[in-house]
Amino acid sequence: MKTCLVVDDSKMIRRVAGRILKDLSFETSEAANGQDALDQCRGQMPDAILLDWNMPVMDGLNFLKTLRKEPKGGDPVVVFCTAERDVTKITEALEAGADEYVMKPFDSDIIESKFMMAGLI
Amino acid sequence: MSAALSLKPSYYEALKRLTLELAGVNLGGNHEFLIETRLSALARQEGYDNLQMMIEELFGSGQTRLAVHVVSALLERDSQFNDDAESLEDILNTVLPVLHRLYKGTTLRILSYGCSSGQEPYSIAMAIEKNKDLFPGLKYEIAAVDYPSVAIDRARAGRYTHFDVQRGLPITDLIRFFDRAGEDWIIKDSLKDRIVFTDFHLLSKLDVLGEFHLVVFRKGLARYSAPAQIRVLRELTSVVRELGFLVLGRGEDVSNLNFGLDGVEGVPHILRKREMIIEEPIDPNAKVPSGRTTFEGAKRRFNRARSDLSETRPEQVSQEGKTSVA
Repeated sequence: MKTCLVVDDSKMIRRVAGRILKDLSFETSEAANGQDALDQCRGQMPDAILLDWNMPVMDGLNFLKTLRKEPKGGDPVVVFCTAERDVTKITEALEAGADEYVMKPFDSDIIESKFMMAGLI
Repeated sequence: MSAALSLKPSYYEALKRLTLELAGVNLGGNHEFLIETRLSALARQEGYDNLQMMIEELFGSGQTRLAVHVVSALLERDSQFNDDAESLEDILNTVLPVLHRLYKGTTLRILSYGCSSGQEPYSIAMAIEKNKDLFPGLKYEIAAVDYPSVAIDRARAGRYTHFDVQRGLPITDLIRFFDRAGEDWIIKDSLKDRIVFTDFHLLSKLDVLGEFHLVVFRKGLARYSAPAQIRVLRELTSVVRELGFLVLGRGEDVSNLNFGLDGVEGVPHILRKREMIIEEPIDPNAKVPSGRTTFEGAKRRFNRARSDLSETRPEQVSQEGKTSVA
């Protein structure tokens, strides 16, 4: 079973995304901000990370830039999941090492489609 | 479910028959829900107070325009970008290399038949644009046809919702080929200009559209009744250029039908039009058999031909200057 870390400061989003990912046969874990996510990744790298942008303590973009410099930090497939829709923001995320990008609001079809395109399903 | 239905029961069957007659498509079982959801929206759009009023007008007056709109609404397909991605890859890996080699310098004409809201032709165009390095100098144009509907109007506008562009479309393609327009995303003109969308009755003669190097009709054949399938395939074949291709959806195999197309080895849903071989007439005055031939008939003709030959042989021999024949 593949693992996915859901990183979002909204408990509701973590719960909804977690349920969708469980239906897609992922074992999920949660983090409420980038620093928490980084600590978890240092302990055990997940196969995938569903990552929010705007969060307290450490935002998604800084988390991703730091993650990609970590040993084995290039391994997880990172899918941004954010309300940011500007092309410049999307480009910034891709340049920082994101593999795919989900714009909120999302549904199960979108998550499935994006994870499929990222080669996770 | 039945409590939610607003039409007289006989109207559901009448609409099912109308769709079969007009478009050759069988709506199948449980069509009541489809009719209610699709046509209620159309009734509002057409200015009727409710669905029942629109249907009574349809069958009462026999309005052709309304009939076409009703059937188009019932036939509208949910489509998404890069749907049936494997057959799209087959177009890139199997079809385009051959066409590019054969028709260098020519503008390749591609037909997207039953294009719905346009995701298919746009996906083909995006796939070609992304792989242009593989096909240097490739020129192409896409004709996309479907019944007149809200769907094809949307395709023409190239405007898609936040949800549409997130199903099947990689983010890199979104930022390369689309511009953001508020909550929606619009296809860039450079890509839109490649495609001409035309309202078209899919069972009418296609020859007015001209000939195509590639005809794409994926995942649509199964909806048609058996006679309509034959008609559709015959029409599609008629507009495929010699040595051109017809691409169906993965898993759609029509190799048991002979329309002058051969399945490509290993990819039976890709069919290639045979080369036309024009035989030179042996004897312009020879009678061409018109009906079924029997072995007895063939034997008689053979014997007659043999006696004709023996009568003409001395003259032929002398002309050729030969002294003897076996």
